[in-house]
Amino acid sequence: MTKSLLQGNQAIALAAVKAGLNFYAGYPITPASEILHELVNKKTVKVLQMEDEIASINAIIGSSLAGAKSMTATSGPGFSLMQESIGLAHMMEIPLVIVNVQRVGPSTGMPTFPAQGDMLQCKYGSHGDYFPIVFYPNSVAELYEFTFNAFNAAEESLSPVILLSDSYVGHLYETIEESDYPISNRTLAPLGTSNRHFTGLTHEDSKPVTSDPEVHKKLIKRLETKQKKVSRKYNDYEYIENKNSKILLIAYGALSRAAYDLKDDYAIYRPVRIFPIVEKLIEIAKDYEEIVVIEMNTGQYVNEVERLLHRQINFIPILGGKIDLNEIWTKLRKIKKKR
Amino acid sequence: MTKELTYLNYLKQDRLPTQWCPGCGNGIILKLACQAMEKLKIVKKGTVMVSGIGCSGRSAGFFDLDSVHTAHGRALPVAEGIKLAKEELNVMVISGDGDLFGIGGNHLLHASRRDTDITVICISNAIYGMTGGQCSPTTEVTSKTLTTPRGNVDSPINVQALVTAHNCFYARSTTFHYNHAMKCIFEALQHKGFSFVEIKSQCITNDGRRRGFKNSYEMLMSYKETYRINNSTNKLEHNEIGIIR
Ligand SMILES: Cc1ncc(C[n+]2csc(CCOP(=O)(O)OP(=O)(O)O)c2C)c(N)n1
Ligand code: SF4
Ligand SMILES: [Mg+2]
Repeated sequence: MTKSLLQGNQAIALAAVKAGLNFYAGYPITPASEILHELVNKKTVKVLQMEDEIASINAIIGSSLAGAKSMTATSGPGFSLMQESIGLAHMMEIPLVIVNVQRVGPSTGMPTFPAQGDMLQCKYGSHGDYFPIVFYPNSVAELYEFTFNAFNAAEESLSPVILLSDSYVGHLYETIEESDYPISNRTLAPLGTSNRHFTGLTHEDSKPVTSDPEVHKKLIKRLETKQKKVSRKYNDYEYIENKNSKILLIAYGALSRAAYDLKDDYAIYRPVRIFPIVEKLIEIAKDYEEIVVIEMNTGQYVNEVERLLHRQINFIPILGGKIDLNEIWTKLRKIKKKR
Repeated sequence: MTKELTYLNYLKQDRLPTQWCPGCGNGIILKLACQAMEKLKIVKKGTVMVSGIGCSGRSAGFFDLDSVHTAHGRALPVAEGIKLAKEELNVMVISGDGDLFGIGGNHLLHASRRDTDITVICISNAIYGMTGGQCSPTTEVTSKTLTTPRGNVDSPINVQALVTAHNCFYARSTTFHYNHAMKCIFEALQHKGFSFVEIKSQCITNDGRRRGFKNSYEMLMSYKETYRINNSTNKLEHNEIGIIR
């Protein structure tokens, strides 16, 4: 097995090629551009630099329908622009991989600094109800591995799968093994073989039906069931048990790497499949009196955790792109004292 | 007994009649597209129809082809993605003026710049038909619409200039000039590279009646009076229709 020193973004590009990527469309943005730069040199991938992120996501909707495994990568501003068509891809059931290397927002924010402010945008950013599968690795090796998972889950669910990263993990260099993982093949017949109609309108058997609530309910139920079923193949999380601790810390992505330093004093839970939220957490959380979510936003995933566990959760926001262990220590001490 | 092959074979007949208003130009353009395809003996397998959103955006769904009904304004990047991923496909777009020049205008600039080998038919009715008749990028100056009650003050977009700036195929016709419009589509489909056919079309319900037309026949007659065919020019005047290669 070859060992190589790779950057996080580069690992995504290399794994994508191995996972069968045929078509990439994107628009330059820090801190995601290295994925585009890496892919332009690959002979097996058609790469388009589009006029914006709206064009990028729509081009890969087209290419995926035409039979090509397709991907785009961006950061917050571009991810915001893609939202409408992410909903379209859910409605038309198109396999795609969308990488979001997060940076500090809102707006142009701090382009080179990491943040985790797009957690809820992944799940709720497009209008209407949809059920995305979202992964958020925290190392170069994991980015590599989960790029395969993202492609496979996209093919299995016929939906756009989000691979989250952040400018810290995306720009990190680590030595990894470029392993091969199993690949899920295309099941969707390419365009030009039939007379199907792909539409964002509520539909049944490829026909638009826009005034029958029952058809809409049935469609949404079917999509929800399908997404849940496929996601169960990827129940990925990391749990570092600590029998001496009554407190469970929850962290993911860049921030979870800092949290590892606290494992002697606290138990740590790190979700990797961010959405649908892994239900195993219900069982794990039972052993702890307090739960603390630490994330690089003003409180996003904590809401999802509360919703799952139906209990009060403590929360530590880390803003501005700097992860300071002292800040976390101090805030954790306050929570301890309160008890 | 086998039925003779007609242009209707390009449509999903169980989806007819369309939901478009009586007298709407969209149906004429649907028929034009089918007849041009039939004349070229275009095989259904291997052909893909793409639309955006609007009354015209419903077009794709009526074709007996694999078809895609994209988000508003996004027909072109979707069509380009299809074509560039599977080059052997014939990729056609039928969409509206608001869709292609307004919300999707940036994509038109770049699809023509890239000269992607697709054929685009624009149902250019100078109005946002589906949403009730608001001013569109092709609405004429002084024209009254729902959002320009005292008359439009802005000039319509110069599509010819945009598309020909990149040396792409551009044709303009109207729903009145049936045979001419057919020739435009016929030639566009054979053009290698980006081809754009703008067909002036009537929306009686949300445009014509507001401007004093009694019915769509009167609107068609106004095309007859306004437009002259010019077969030998590289720049069409405002009141001319023709093909620029
Ligand atoms: C993002 C977005 N904004 C607005 C709309 C509402 N909308 C639907 S159709 C349309 C205008 C369509 O005009 P045009 O493309 O000229 O088509 P026509 O109905 O005239 O055929 C608008 C604004 C939408 N569907 N999506
Ligand atoms: S509103 Fe206008 S464009 Fe829409 S179907 Fe009716 S006549 Fe045609
Ligand atoms: Mg219009």
